[in-house]
Amino acid sequence: MTVGLWSVSLIALLFSLYKKPLETKSALGMASKMIKNMLIQIVGILFLIGFMLSMLPPELIKGVLGSSNQLFSTVAGALLGSVTIIPAFVAFPLVASFLKLGASVLPAIAFLTTLTMVGIATFPIEKEAFGLKFTLVRNGLSFVFAIIIAFSMGVILR
Amino acid sequence: MKKFRVLIGVAILYVSLFVLFPAKGQESLFNTWYYIKEMLEIMPVILVLTALIEVWVPKPFIEQHLGESSGLKGNVMSIILGSISAGPIYAAFPISLSLIKKGTSIENIVIIISAWAVVKVPMLANEAKFLGFKFMSIRWACTVIAIVVMGRLAKRFVSKQEVLEHIKSQENERVVSKKIQINERTCVKCMLCVKAMPELFEYNGKVLITSLLDEIDTKLTDNDFVQSLNNVADRCPVKAIEMQLSLE
Repeated sequence: MTVGLWSVSLIALLFSLYKKPLETKSALGMASKMIKNMLIQIVGILFLIGFMLSMLPPELIKGVLGSSNQLFSTVAGALLGSVTIIPAFVAFPLVASFLKLGASVLPAIAFLTTLTMVGIATFPIEKEAFGLKFTLVRNGLSFVFAIIIAFSMGVILR
Repeated sequence: MKKFRVLIGVAILYVSLFVLFPAKGQESLFNTWYYIKEMLEIMPVILVLTALIEVWVPKPFIEQHLGESSGLKGNVMSIILGSISAGPIYAAFPISLSLIKKGTSIENIVIIISAWAVVKVPMLANEAKFLGFKFMSIRWACTVIAIVVMGRLAKRFVSKQEVLEHIKSQENERVVSKKIQINERTCVKCMLCVKAMPELFEYNGKVLITSLLDEIDTKLTDNDFVQSLNNVADRCPVKAIEMQLSLE
């Protein structure tokens, strides 16, 4: 996927530089200025996530997802997914192993959904790009819908 | 300096971590490296794509297909657009910014960002492998529906005007340099403009537009300011001051 994207965008860039050199250069300059500003924040946040991940043992996730009260553990699963950023290919086997051990499926779904859609960690970057209100609304809606998705899947899968 | 606050805090955290718990520090660095690699893989592509959208995609085209009246078709387009992309959610932000400026509705921006985060083909395959095809396909279907509903709800809470104003305030610095530019190739660094309008022009190896002029838009409605700006541009011996101003 990444290799494909790189080659497509490089070819497109060369074509663009050939056809509209001035516009392309000025647009590149503007975009790089914007992204440079963002990167300073992103790098700091990535280091923070790396730190959090080393402090957050998988047992905690298991404890939250495995709680007996379904509503509580679903909301807790959604919360946990919001604050953590785990690569999805790590999250899927992790969740699968909990489910095999008998953990409930609702909190697992809520966790998986907020994991990717809600970003407490990326909140500052999103806020700077789109403003506080947009960021609050988008993340808030994602959180609520993660729980709705979990419960509707609970009904469908039953 | 505000920009570097997080970075400085993190540096202090890591130094103390390495002093107190070197093992944890190493583990944290190791974790971080994964994310840094992910970032380095995707951000150059994002940079190029953002610039290419800026140059090649005409505003009316975006307005028609992703704009306010694009309807369900626009929603579907947005989901496709978000799902063919790669990389973490923050990679969606620069592209979304340029799409908003080109006329994409709030509804579709929310859909693009969400689909970017969730709907990805390699991830779906991975989920099917570990959690089963049925689980994956039902979660995927529920998520796509939820994303569209979310987009439609979001536009009731957030007006596009608000977001555009925010973007504009963040961009003021760039707006200035777009409206008034100094042609570096012809500029002979005679300092005429720097002396005449030190509040706007500065010299730092080459002649620059000062970045601190946040209020350029209000300044440009000020007749005296515009008059002296025009004067300076006229007096420049090589006509290196290029302006794209729509002056009333």
